[in-house]
Amino acid sequence: MARGLAIVLALVCAGLVLGAAGANPIALASKVIQSTFGSSFGLQDVSLLVTPLILTGLAVAVALKVGAWNIGAEGQFYAGAFAATGIGLFIPGPTVVILPLMFVGGALCGVLWILIPTLARAYAGVSELITTLLLNFVGTLLAYYVSTGPWLDPGGHALGTTARVPHSVPEIWGDVHWGFPLAIMLTLVVAGVLNFTRWGYEVRLAGSNAQAALYAGIPFRRHLITVMLLSGAIAGIAGMLEVAGTVHRLQGGISNNFGYLGIMVAVLARGSAIGVLAGAALMAVILNSGIILQTQGINTSTVLAITGLILFFTAIGDELAHYRIVPIETAKK
Amino acid sequence: MSATTNTAAGRPPGTPPIVLLKGICKYFPGVVANQSIDLEVLSGEIHALLGENGAGKSTLMNILTGIYQPDAGEIIVDGYAKAFASPVEAIAAGIGMVHQHFKLVHAFTVAENIHLGWGETPARISAQELEARTAELASALNLAVKPDARVEDLSTGEQQRVEILRVLARRARLLILDEPTAVLTPSEARELFKALREFVSRGNAVVFISHKLDEVLEISDRITVLRGGRKVATEETGNCTHQSLAKLMVGHEIVLNDLRGRAASAASLSPQAVLSLHEVSAHDDLGNVALNGVSLEVRGGEILGIAGVAGNGQKELSQVLTGMRPVASGRIEVGAKDFTGKSAEQFAAFGVGHIPEDRLHSGLAPALSVTDNAVMREYKKPPVSVGSWFRPRAATALAETIAAAASVAVPDFGMPVRNLSGGNQQRLVGRREMRIAGKGLIAAYPSRGLDVGAINTMMRYFVELRDAGCAVVLISEELEELLNLSDRIAVMFHGRIMGIVDGTSTDIEEIGLLMGGKPTTNPPLSVAAN
Amino acid sequence: MDIIAGLLQTSILAGGVLALAALGEVLSERVGVVNLGVEGLIALGAITAIAIVTASPNPVFGLIGALGVGFVVGMIFASATVVLRANQVLCGLALTLMGTGLAATIGKAYSGMPAKATFAPVEIPYLSELPLLGRALFTQNILVYLIYVVLPVALHLIMFRTRHGLNLRAVGENPAAADAAGISVQKFRFWYVAAGSSLAAGAGAYLTLAFVPSWSEGVVAGRGWIAVALVIFAGYRPINAVLAALLFGAITSLGFVGQARNWPIAAPILSMLPYLGTIALIIMPVLAWHRVRRLMAAPAALGEPYYRDVR
Repeated sequence: MARGLAIVLALVCAGLVLGAAGANPIALASKVIQSTFGSSFGLQDVSLLVTPLILTGLAVAVALKVGAWNIGAEGQFYAGAFAATGIGLFIPGPTVVILPLMFVGGALCGVLWILIPTLARAYAGVSELITTLLLNFVGTLLAYYVSTGPWLDPGGHALGTTARVPHSVPEIWGDVHWGFPLAIMLTLVVAGVLNFTRWGYEVRLAGSNAQAALYAGIPFRRHLITVMLLSGAIAGIAGMLEVAGTVHRLQGGISNNFGYLGIMVAVLARGSAIGVLAGAALMAVILNSGIILQTQGINTSTVLAITGLILFFTAIGDELAHYRIVPIETAKK
Repeated sequence: MSATTNTAAGRPPGTPPIVLLKGICKYFPGVVANQSIDLEVLSGEIHALLGENGAGKSTLMNILTGIYQPDAGEIIVDGYAKAFASPVEAIAAGIGMVHQHFKLVHAFTVAENIHLGWGETPARISAQELEARTAELASALNLAVKPDARVEDLSTGEQQRVEILRVLARRARLLILDEPTAVLTPSEARELFKALREFVSRGNAVVFISHKLDEVLEISDRITVLRGGRKVATEETGNCTHQSLAKLMVGHEIVLNDLRGRAASAASLSPQAVLSLHEVSAHDDLGNVALNGVSLEVRGGEILGIAGVAGNGQKELSQVLTGMRPVASGRIEVGAKDFTGKSAEQFAAFGVGHIPEDRLHSGLAPALSVTDNAVMREYKKPPVSVGSWFRPRAATALAETIAAAASVAVPDFGMPVRNLSGGNQQRLVGRREMRIAGKGLIAAYPSRGLDVGAINTMMRYFVELRDAGCAVVLISEELEELLNLSDRIAVMFHGRIMGIVDGTSTDIEEIGLLMGGKPTTNPPLSVAAN
Repeated sequence: MDIIAGLLQTSILAGGVLALAALGEVLSERVGVVNLGVEGLIALGAITAIAIVTASPNPVFGLIGALGVGFVVGMIFASATVVLRANQVLCGLALTLMGTGLAATIGKAYSGMPAKATFAPVEIPYLSELPLLGRALFTQNILVYLIYVVLPVALHLIMFRTRHGLNLRAVGENPAAADAAGISVQKFRFWYVAAGSSLAAGAGAYLTLAFVPSWSEGVVAGRGWIAVALVIFAGYRPINAVLAALLFGAITSLGFVGQARNWPIAAPILSMLPYLGTIALIIMPVLAWHRVRRLMAAPAALGEPYYRDVR
């Protein structure tokens, strides 16, 4: 498969560059594999990373089904985290009530974050790519603001974090919480809706060819709006789960670029649910490798660069896959 | 009748033709576009290139202008053999072409378009300078243009003049025009002919591609007829008549398979019209008037053919009849119910099928699977949908049924529909529409891009529907097709119905006259009696 | 009075990054290629400039190095999008990720250190003595004059007053027409994409050598994306683009002033202004008058790869 080749090529390239920079790629690779798959902690870490990646990947993939680029998953993630933290810290009540409230709040805040770009796209044809992206920065700033300002942890010594949110998503295995199976389930549910409901068929048709949608009498604009808002909600849920399940606080850098990596996951997934799960798993492993190898100078920035490389090769590979080699006859002079 | 120039007298003996094509061959996969064609264009003449769609006229000219490379044969310009690797080389040799689809930049002014990519444009330019130079050129070549107007604001006739000016400014000696009057009003066409006459009187030449017999007889000095990729004849215009040309164009077997006969079991004409338009007007995508007070009636059990050169409102007509385009004024009735303003879905639900002109852009979603495309009309009903649930297995079963009825072999119903050949796609769409076409079917250019086998299949579908009592509207550029199938033929020109003629008693000449804009003495509305 | 002069001065200074990046993007989009990698290019240019200046303290070397790196990276991007015709959006996003990640990785060694050499403000004799305008307009570093005056005017003249510029614009509007007129679509696209990328990287050098002036992770802060949006807002015209950048410089410096003067609005909230402002501006043209919309319309073939033999 062209995509597999692209990924391998990108990793090889990255390995070469690291080698040139003085590190030993083979040693690094074996260390990564050992730490990740050789221990229970490693697998737990990957599972914790995979949860937000599945959801942001799903969010972007869903939007792509209707032809929209949701580059704002990062901002919607922060918006969801923000809402969940706010509800969790300031609304009193038993966990059984508050936790679902946080879930709903996270989803709604994600919807809010994508609302203006959605309306601008649906009614004014403004490219959602840029509008969603700009709101990423606003979302990040918002989280930074509350976690260093009004919601700063009064009892703690750390500078940029809120107090611990008293409600947590229960764990199922070690540190891994119920968010993990929830993310998988959500993916399967969305895939199910797209493939097994009438509405899903209409969305797929509209996203594939707007003219055909007109021909078949499908209300394109309505479906566009619904799907984009859904996309925002899913990314918001990702943020909520990260706060309530993994970190238990809101911090400035709570997202490990999950929103941007989600784009990668969606592109690799090429529209299938299994693709989203597999792509998220791959990204999680790569991200985890970055964390493991921090001492070797490999950090999230390097991981980001490698992700970009994969995307680059994927884009090229996709185009080349359309070519057939045909001999060209040049004019006889 | 024929052109009245004494070009032969003005030419010294032994002058080589401006352009001589010898034995030109061009093959595409599965198609012989040109086979051993000889063409000679003399200076001072207007030479018409006549033939039906697919006869190979455009291909031949694309070879002459460097867009295609010939597979065999020679191009000789002014006595010297030439090969053109690109359009630029042809232009340098003095050959210029004005295509049916203009190559103009819409956001630029006329002056900017004229000076685009031209060696003679000064390195530093200003709007005034370009416009002054354009005005100079226009008056020298006697073509009226507005140098400061933006091309997108101009009428098609004016745009065509800009294209011609562009070509002539580069000192073209041979001007090739591809169906130039398709987009002109009669008076604009007359202006064009005047300009062409002046052009050739200076020793240049014109090749005029057309299938309008009227004009060809009026403007040209000689006529070359192409048919099926071969040259059939070259004649002096003075020796030609409508009938002789029509025979040459279509071949002696004008009516091959007359499918108008009906079996005893076929449904008879319905007493009431099933589809009717009353004084319908509509606009095209650019906002111009595309349909101008069109009135039509089609009864169940008949096939109404719509003839006319493409671009005279046929696309908008098919969209209006299927709910894909709103009407600006007038009334549409389907099955005696008012359907004005109803949506595409409502038309389809009522039983009006639509084989669209551009199947890949409207009738299909190219990236979706064959199954998803096949069920596009029936996905809301059981067995494909039960309540809100979509059942992929039932969908695939339906897709298999449709494919089998359409005789399309599908290796994998999950693969994107764009992987099917054009003929298979069209057959699939045709069968899909037939299933829901209880009341009527609108088919726009259904045989475009299809091979003979697929075309025959399509024809049989229409006959099937007709015999079942459906009202079929067949829009086509193929006169032969229309004559074989239609009970009546309506001819469109500039958004109006010029006349409706009886399919059995008409002939190419009459239709050709109507296509060229000459209204008949018949009132355009009558529903033909049995 | 003094406050306004100060505000103006900072606005001009702050807008410089956006202006140069936007000019580069105008070049690219005018030939029909949308380059979403501007954010990554700015980052690469920024770190290149710092690295070079740390090794040999001459800001001009830093600038030239950044321009060079941008050009080379631009050629790679153009090879993918113009020659191979890969999806422009995906390649642009990839470039942003790669550029930002790579720059941050290299930048670890330089984080927080002030640049060893910068483009300091230059006082123009006489003119800088003028009240208000003197400080604001005539006491800026040399790059400001290049970015705000020399370059936009030059680009405007080239694009709208030369034969070359006419052909260039045709490539972005209707590559088929340009091709038929004998213009090499691929060549125009390739070299102008590379040139545009070079300018974007130059904006990064400006950022770390004239504005901040130092490197830190996150120093680019989305300016690349704002530049892309500005180009749309500016109707793809060079002079409009730098004016729009100036407007944004003003919004940004308003935020700085607010922080310095302890306005009751928190710093992060003020920092949101540029992004919110951009969104508002990008929605605005759509609501504008039809004639204005036509003048500001995108090149008709923007974003579409060109294949000669597809009919």
